[in-house]
Amino acid sequence: MILGDIGLIGQVVVNGILFGSMYGIAAIGLSLIFGTMRIVFIAQGAVIVLFAYFCFWLFNLLGIDPYLSLIPIVLVALLIGTGLYYGLFREAAALQDRIGSLLIAVGVMFFLENFMTVIWTPNPRAIVTSYGFYTLNLIGMHFTLVRVIGLVIAALATIAVATFLKKTLIGTAVRAASEDVEATSLMGINPDRVNAFTFAIGIGLAAIAGITLATTYSFDPMYGIDFAIKALVALTLGGIGRVGAAFMGGIILGLIELLGTYFVGAAWAQAIVFAVFLLALNFRPQGLFGGATSEKA
Amino acid sequence: MLEVKNLDVWYGDVQVLRKVSVHVDEGSIVALVGANGAGKTTLLRTISGLLQPRKGEIVFADKPLHTMKPQDIVDQGIIHVPEGRRLFADLTVLENLRLGAYTPTARPFFLESMERVYKLFPVLKERKDQKAGTLSGGEQQMLAIGRAVMARPKLIMLDEPSLGLSPIFVRAMFELIATLNDQKVTILLVEQNIHQALKIAHQAFVLKIGKIVMSGKGDELLADKEIRKAYIGERASK
Repeated sequence: MILGDIGLIGQVVVNGILFGSMYGIAAIGLSLIFGTMRIVFIAQGAVIVLFAYFCFWLFNLLGIDPYLSLIPIVLVALLIGTGLYYGLFREAAALQDRIGSLLIAVGVMFFLENFMTVIWTPNPRAIVTSYGFYTLNLIGMHFTLVRVIGLVIAALATIAVATFLKKTLIGTAVRAASEDVEATSLMGINPDRVNAFTFAIGIGLAAIAGITLATTYSFDPMYGIDFAIKALVALTLGGIGRVGAAFMGGIILGLIELLGTYFVGAAWAQAIVFAVFLLALNFRPQGLFGGATSEKA
Repeated sequence: MLEVKNLDVWYGDVQVLRKVSVHVDEGSIVALVGANGAGKTTLLRTISGLLQPRKGEIVFADKPLHTMKPQDIVDQGIIHVPEGRRLFADLTVLENLRLGAYTPTARPFFLESMERVYKLFPVLKERKDQKAGTLSGGEQQMLAIGRAVMARPKLIMLDEPSLGLSPIFVRAMFELIATLNDQKVTILLVEQNIHQALKIAHQAFVLKIGKIVMSGKGDELLADKEIRKAYIGERASK
């Protein structure tokens, strides 16, 4: 069975990478928000699903192509991110105690789950585009076009965020704040502005993940928590604080999950994911790529 | 220029500063000396807005500071080089300097300020693309001060700039403080190295368990018997 179909295994590997890239961009958002504010934004998954529904509505009600809706949805996401910070997390982010912000994030998650259940019902939804089943054939392997596009978008988003953090002054301030917030305020940098900005990017990345999710899989209101936990695992695997590492952590997680499913079944795959998570925490708490990449977030 | 009046600062239930009054004249070097735990760092942290006083006021160039946020105080022209330098270790030397000139007033002068810093510390120019964390202790202290200069401050507050430096760097540090002062920057200096600090200071204040117990011209305090016995005597006998 193992050597039965090299082509099929290759396909599983590629799908793992594609799937993992979504975990990856979700993990980058978590990493940024944790880096500057020390907030574990567990609602990230629910937010991703919310944007998947936005995409779904724009497509079903207005007939807007999902990839075209990327731009307005990301813009809205940046606003929502800024609003989330100023509206809900500003006070909690300033506290030494991290329980407050975690509770708020849990509250946001439950609110969104229930809100989405009311608006869109608990039934799974999916976007069916005319090109959704189009597949690319490459050396005997088949890939659906939308997944390949998803991977490309995720990779571009990662590069864009990493470049932005590296090259701009506000990006440099974000990296500095994730090292030492107090020292940035002594440079005249307003922590609120840096935090709001970081939150906006984190939620913007959630929007990109949401659109990728909407175009490649079916989703329901409760799908988010699983996604958020996987993103946390990806972050732990890759290493907190580095954009490239978080992305790679997602890809590795996707590979473990899909290869595990292929070889030993879906239930075991989930157990393996968390076993690897625990092993990584134990033996490489700084992440597999801690120190390997330079784009610190 | 800077007027601190009757400042009471508490950490929770513990009072750290009691009715502290200090004044800093424009263009001068003022030293703040005293034993560990006397409240010197607390006073600097209160001036820069990291701590809120319970009573008293801080006035800089006729503006009250004690109600302002740290980032706004920087924009008034006060920069605080904290104890332990607090550089961004994962950022390059140049990135650290860039953030030093972050305020709207300093940002347009970034290139000019950078030239000034490179002139003061040529080694920083050589190491501009290196991560700050990879610099030696002395170089890190240079970067910390260089980063402060980038903000085009009127007043620089230095907390223990000579701490942990080799004797050569300590001497260079005090020379640098004099150089900056010649460039019309007012200096408020906290130092363990009391002898050197008093020698360079125009005015000095002695803090003891949260209170100002003595003040005067630097050389006067340096000649004072009590001071010599309490703070300098130990060092001389080494």
